[in-house]
Amino acid sequence: MAAVANVPLVKVSINDVEIEVPKGELIVESVKRLGLEIPIFCYHPRMKPVGMCRMCLVEVGFKQQDGSVRKMPKPQAGCTLPASEGMVVYTDTEPIHADRRGVLEFLLINHPLDCPICDRGGECPLQNNTMAYGPSTSRFIELKRHLPKAFPLSTYVTLDLERCIQCGRCVRFTEEISGDHDLAFRFRGADMQPSTFQLTDFESKFSGNVIEICPVGALTSAKYRFRARPWDLETTPSVCTVCSNGCNVWFDHRAGKFVRINGRANEAVNEEWTCDKGKFGHEHYNAADRPTQPLVRQGDGFAPTSWSGAYDPVLAAFAEGGDRVAALVGPRVSNEALFLLRRLFERAFKSARVSSNWRRTPGSGSVQGTIADVESGGPVLVFGTSLADDLPIVHLRLRKGATNAGARVVNAFSRPTEVDRFAAVSLHYRPGSELALARGLHGLLAGTGATAEAVEAETGVPADRLREAVEVLKEGGTALSSQGLYDLSDGPQIVEALAGIARATGGRSECWATGANEQGAIELGLAGEGATATLQACAEGRVKALWLVAADPFALHPDRALVERALETVEFLVVQSPVGSEALAYASVVLPTALPAEQDGTYTNCERRVQRVQPAVPPPGDGKPDWRVFSECLLRALPETPLFNPREVMEAIAAEVPAFAGCRYEALGPEGTVLGGNLLDTPDEPAMVGGQA
Amino acid sequence: MAEYKLLLEHADDPAYRTLAGYQAKGGYQALRKAVGMDRQAVIDEVKKSGLRGRGGAGFPTWIKWNGIEKEKTAPHYILCNADEGEPGTFKDKQIMETVPFLMVEGMTIAGWATQGDHGYVYIRAEFCDAAKAVRQAIDEAYAAGLLGKDILGTGWDFDLDIHLGAGSYECGEESALMSSLMGERGMPRLKFPHAPLPTVAGLWDRPTVINNVETYACAPFIVERGGDWYATLGASTKNSRGTKIFSVSGHLNRPGNYEIEFGTTLGELIDLAGGVKGGALKACVPGGSSVQILRGDGLRDAVIGYEEMWEAGSMVGSGGCMVLNEHTCIVSFIWRTAQFYAMESCGKCTPCREGTKWMLQIMERIVRGNGQPGDMDLLMEITKQIDGRSFCGLGDAAAWPVAAALKVFPEEFEYFIKHGRSMIDTPQARALAPRWAQTVGV
Repeated sequence: MAAVANVPLVKVSINDVEIEVPKGELIVESVKRLGLEIPIFCYHPRMKPVGMCRMCLVEVGFKQQDGSVRKMPKPQAGCTLPASEGMVVYTDTEPIHADRRGVLEFLLINHPLDCPICDRGGECPLQNNTMAYGPSTSRFIELKRHLPKAFPLSTYVTLDLERCIQCGRCVRFTEEISGDHDLAFRFRGADMQPSTFQLTDFESKFSGNVIEICPVGALTSAKYRFRARPWDLETTPSVCTVCSNGCNVWFDHRAGKFVRINGRANEAVNEEWTCDKGKFGHEHYNAADRPTQPLVRQGDGFAPTSWSGAYDPVLAAFAEGGDRVAALVGPRVSNEALFLLRRLFERAFKSARVSSNWRRTPGSGSVQGTIADVESGGPVLVFGTSLADDLPIVHLRLRKGATNAGARVVNAFSRPTEVDRFAAVSLHYRPGSELALARGLHGLLAGTGATAEAVEAETGVPADRLREAVEVLKEGGTALSSQGLYDLSDGPQIVEALAGIARATGGRSECWATGANEQGAIELGLAGEGATATLQACAEGRVKALWLVAADPFALHPDRALVERALETVEFLVVQSPVGSEALAYASVVLPTALPAEQDGTYTNCERRVQRVQPAVPPPGDGKPDWRVFSECLLRALPETPLFNPREVMEAIAAEVPAFAGCRYEALGPEGTVLGGNLLDTPDEPAMVGGQA
Repeated sequence: MAEYKLLLEHADDPAYRTLAGYQAKGGYQALRKAVGMDRQAVIDEVKKSGLRGRGGAGFPTWIKWNGIEKEKTAPHYILCNADEGEPGTFKDKQIMETVPFLMVEGMTIAGWATQGDHGYVYIRAEFCDAAKAVRQAIDEAYAAGLLGKDILGTGWDFDLDIHLGAGSYECGEESALMSSLMGERGMPRLKFPHAPLPTVAGLWDRPTVINNVETYACAPFIVERGGDWYATLGASTKNSRGTKIFSVSGHLNRPGNYEIEFGTTLGELIDLAGGVKGGALKACVPGGSSVQILRGDGLRDAVIGYEEMWEAGSMVGSGGCMVLNEHTCIVSFIWRTAQFYAMESCGKCTPCREGTKWMLQIMERIVRGNGQPGDMDLLMEITKQIDGRSFCGLGDAAAWPVAAALKVFPEEFEYFIKHGRSMIDTPQARALAPRWAQTVGV
């Protein structure tokens, strides 16, 4: 709410207290400066105010020349009223109380009082406002509205039409935030209901957010429906590790079991939104097939053992060391675990064969700006990625930049994506012609004599479109892509051509990781020779012992035959995994570990922001955090003082890895910290995540 | 006072609906005069005339025209609200069908005065004949160079188009009309002081003038004969000038549109329509279904004028004067009115969406004979919870008739609630009764 520098201040009087607020600030926000609150339903600070629900009515007047106050004859909606000089507002008068009672009575006449079985019961704005401002009884004796109670809008979202209070938040979310316009109102008056067009599926990739912003229990999560009461839930501030955006979330759990994910505010990253992959992508925490204790191979099966019983054969098998032992790491392993794994292999096994890179071609991407920079309004070239799938929150921020700040976006992909909806120019190229297009655009922008017609011939993108794109991009812009480009055989060359475009236009080149800690692994020097090379070495018998760390090669590597050959050939296979995977069948030893929200650690997101995840729930059975497994192995293999906790590991990282210099848990603010940013200047603060001590 | 035919003088002359016939009777002299005048002078004439919006609110027309930026920075739009949906009102229909050129010329004058670029006539789709007549008038005007490029050699371009609504009462609300015209759902938009006035940011956020059909149709007379002359009409009233067309309907011998000078009494208007038929005068809703009902005794002397009517307890509104004879059951009448508003509420705001439905449910219960003690108080409370709390005027318009009927005819409600049947128990009333009784399934 800080005043923007160039907005003049005006004096308003709220409940007879005079304050200065920026001109045009909505009264519903201004009253917060005095610690007051105006009850709301339809208003949402991140969406345009509409004044639909009328819950926020306030009395408004204007100071006259003679000092008297002339009140407006009707109460006004505080959520739509901009502050102006001499405005006098009353939020707490008897007529306003009566208006609030009236609105709540209206909202409740058709709202079923099934709070005892409603998911929202206990965290429901309608319940809260009714308790605070509403009438205690209803005078309504007619038949209530009856409508479908569990209409499946999509796989994730179930609509209870009886509970809907028609505030329009969900409809506006799809119009203003996700931009897919999937929801709209149909019918009129009391029959009005939110719906998809022709009752098709609610296909938005951000549909889960409407569940959270619904002020009643009308939009419910199909996954969470009837599973818990809010007051039985514990919540832990956390970070989503489904993709590289690092959205801040609330990790809700009950009796040590994961229950649901809700968005948590972090203005630098996700504002408060989540994508469906993240919001609904944590079900594996409760999977039945999670390994719960260390196992060692015994004939065709496994025998349970203790951790010591597992460490001994592992350390024996890897003792040979050198090029004959290797490790492959998945994309969701914390910085601390990655660092200790590398140290274990370097110091104990004398091996550099630790690789986190599952891409087809080697490459370390490029990070020059931040997620928030994307919405600044400069031209952006989105290249070779479906943003809503690969970097969903970046997609939302870019859309915001395009719609609010007028950013001109050029979207280049082989098929239509959500970005096309707000892109100024869409370039749909023939699959496989990425490099030709990137080089072509570079040539056109750098004026190297390339012609649009020649590029058209190579890529199938109409020459006129190319010229339009050049018109947009020559203003200087960000070339935004994902490291998914490295899955193409000419990935590095494409990334280089994109960097050339950025250089030619004076813009930035961003080629961002997509795995939760893929960027962290790059920073910590674990990119290594690449999974393909390691697997080939295994398949050819050059690697004797392989350690898979939270990595299912069958899911991560495209060449299934190679993976099978490698896992069959390698003599000793350690599968260190928090979840069941196909690779378990090949394992010599299985080490059960913890998922991200079951252990302490930090993750480096696509913009190199280091954020801490704290343990919310315990791992099942004897599962251990990954970092601890490596720390214990180090202790057994080397006479070294062990690192006792992730905090110490981070100190070691800061000391050894230049990119992390100065990075301490205490220095990670509530929004996390971008590597190479202001790390060294950050004053000591208590360890915080999301503003919660 | 007798009828004063200004707008409707040539309504019965089919030739007047053609450009030739219209011009033969002096048509387009006003536009020719206007384009020879300074733009501000045209607005000043309208100011002098005292013309107020004929759509219902009675807002001074010149203020709207004068509110458009003088230093043009964007296209200006001229909208005509021809979505005449107020029950009891059918004057715009007749204007468009019989004297369409008055409206077209009036809009062109407004366009000249405000440097307009494009006009739209938003006509409700049920008015096929009106839309055809306006279309024909526009086409003829284009052919004669009275619309389109370089009108009358001034170098000024002005286009005019028709847009047909899709049958929502709410779209007659000016901001909802603009939403609808822009292809959005027909819901009202934020209004001053929450958002700029339409004259600043209206259609597509451009400066926009929006007036009623009848208001535009007055403009040619004001420009041609002068605002001062126009202001002599209705001079006996406080602040209502000119003529007003009333759509007089109900229990009358000659229902129809009657144009009168402000200052005429309701009794004279009823006499113009041939007097009450089938029984004594019981009540009158003078300005369309939204306005307050007046009791028959004493209403004959009520003077028609914006302020005068307000003092009498009602409003001029859009001029949909409904006259009811002694055999009318007011409770059933209000039930039918409540039904209309519950059906037409757009659903945007809580008080209107929920309140109109609730009122209808209570009214329906009462006319089914299941009224409860306390229903009258409850209805009155609900009207207070809607009036002034809704997003746009539709909520107010739904609350006023109910509140007024409860105040003016409490005995009929009390009787209906107590006895489960109407107090009006005459053969004529019974003959009418089955029609509503069947609808609610009694």
